[in-house]
Amino acid sequence: MKQSRAEIVAFVGGQILPHEADVRAWLRRSGSAAADIDDVVQETYCRLAALDSVAHIASGRAYFFRTARNIAIEKIRRARIIRIDCVTEIDALNVVDDEPSPERVVAGRRELGRIRRLIEELPERCRRIFTLRRIHGLSQRETALRLGVTENVVEMQSARGLRLILRALSETDAQDHPAGGKAHELHPVRKRD
Amino acid sequence: MSSTRSASEIDDEAADWAVRVDARGLDVERDPELLAWLDGDARRAGALLRAQAAISFLDRGRALAGAAPSVEAVAGRPNRRALIAGAGGIAAALIGGVGLWAARPQRLDTRLGEIRRVPLADGSLVAINTKTALDVAMRPRSRRIVLREGEAWFQVAKDPERPFIVAAGTVRVRAVGTAFSVRRGDEAAAGVDVMVTEGVVEAWIEGDPAPRRQLSAGSRIVLASAVSPTVAESPSEIERSLAWRNGEIALDGENLEQAARLFNRYNNRQIVIEDPVLARERFVGLFQTNEPESFAAAVAATLGAVVNDDAGSIRISRGRTS
Repeated sequence: MKQSRAEIVAFVGGQILPHEADVRAWLRRSGSAAADIDDVVQETYCRLAALDSVAHIASGRAYFFRTARNIAIEKIRRARIIRIDCVTEIDALNVVDDEPSPERVVAGRRELGRIRRLIEELPERCRRIFTLRRIHGLSQRETALRLGVTENVVEMQSARGLRLILRALSETDAQDHPAGGKAHELHPVRKRD
Repeated sequence: MSSTRSASEIDDEAADWAVRVDARGLDVERDPELLAWLDGDARRAGALLRAQAAISFLDRGRALAGAAPSVEAVAGRPNRRALIAGAGGIAAALIGGVGLWAARPQRLDTRLGEIRRVPLADGSLVAINTKTALDVAMRPRSRRIVLREGEAWFQVAKDPERPFIVAAGTVRVRAVGTAFSVRRGDEAAAGVDVMVTEGVVEAWIEGDPAPRRQLSAGSRIVLASAVSPTVAESPSEIERSLAWRNGEIALDGENLEQAARLFNRYNNRQIVIEDPVLARERFVGLFQTNEPESFAAAVAATLGAVVNDDAGSIRISRGRTS
């Protein structure tokens, strides 16, 4: 059955996007160049955008890793010269798929902290508008009214803020991932003493 | 083969479109201008989905609402129109049933699993957690809340003339303009848990000669006796403890026994961890307070546990030992 755009967007926002930094880190470790990583991630979102329904995807994280891996392998096959280490690295990283990642489980606090940081790092004016819109849930009109500016200004600043945040999301930030190289440990679902 | 630069240009354009879709409610499948843009490059559909997903992702930050500065503080000096809008909000709160200078205290309570946000007559806001009862008395010179049982979080409107005091048993917490939560333990001996999310509060035990304690944002204290130490908590840790204001339980390394106790505060259907080893397993995740089933399913999927449930309980035990 076809799902609404809003349902698909909510799924991607909740189950796919939060794992983008991990997927990028993983691709980087497998030896992909930065431009290739951008392409692989971009292509993954394109494939999701082409879906009528995401109901069949049990785990967004596993889907993201699997799809990115498939796209990366296709790219390698298309390339004229196959780097042996590329193939072995990617094969070795196959295990990522098996990571338990139940639908509803997300690394709650880490994620909230990340959202907070993303918003805090925006320039002052942007940040104020973003806080009112996204944290307090005011409409564009209400935000404009509160700040005594036109709706147009709110829209422009929102777009500016979102551009900056999209960029920040594609830069795997060291803050989030001090360990750097261990994708399977970044969103632990199970902790041991 | 695309260059990084053009990919980021697509991202920028996608951000503009996503904001327009969000603000104006454009129909992604029908808006002719948007469709023309999407048709221009096969990568744009993916970029738009990602930008929209980012907005949706950020909306999860609403769970942080309590930690964020109040709307007024964010807005800076309000202009005339904003003031009028604000006055309207207070008027609405009054009409909402909380009378000004009500002679008798007003009782606010919640049933098991219920979470309410109630604006008070003075412009303060109270978020009331599950199974809680409190009395609100607004007087010309004071604002007094008596927490009979349970837990509540207060965002206090500034009014230096009228101290805002919450009483929980013999514990008193006083604020002028700030935000904090107070929770009474289930057992009388358990003490009163105070967490400060904004500003400074003063806490003391009635009849105790010890000096009053000043608590600032990010600190937490469990007042059971005068010697109880103040615990500094990170803002995110306090936020996590207050996730209930959005109907959520945020687990970050609690063991299953502690997690079960959290869920059991909200639901008739009680979670029972049947195996002592399993009960010590730690867990991370964000759940709805009223969905203990999702939690049980996640535990089963992650730890290989077995779930047996009936109308009254959800029992989680260890799977076959391997």
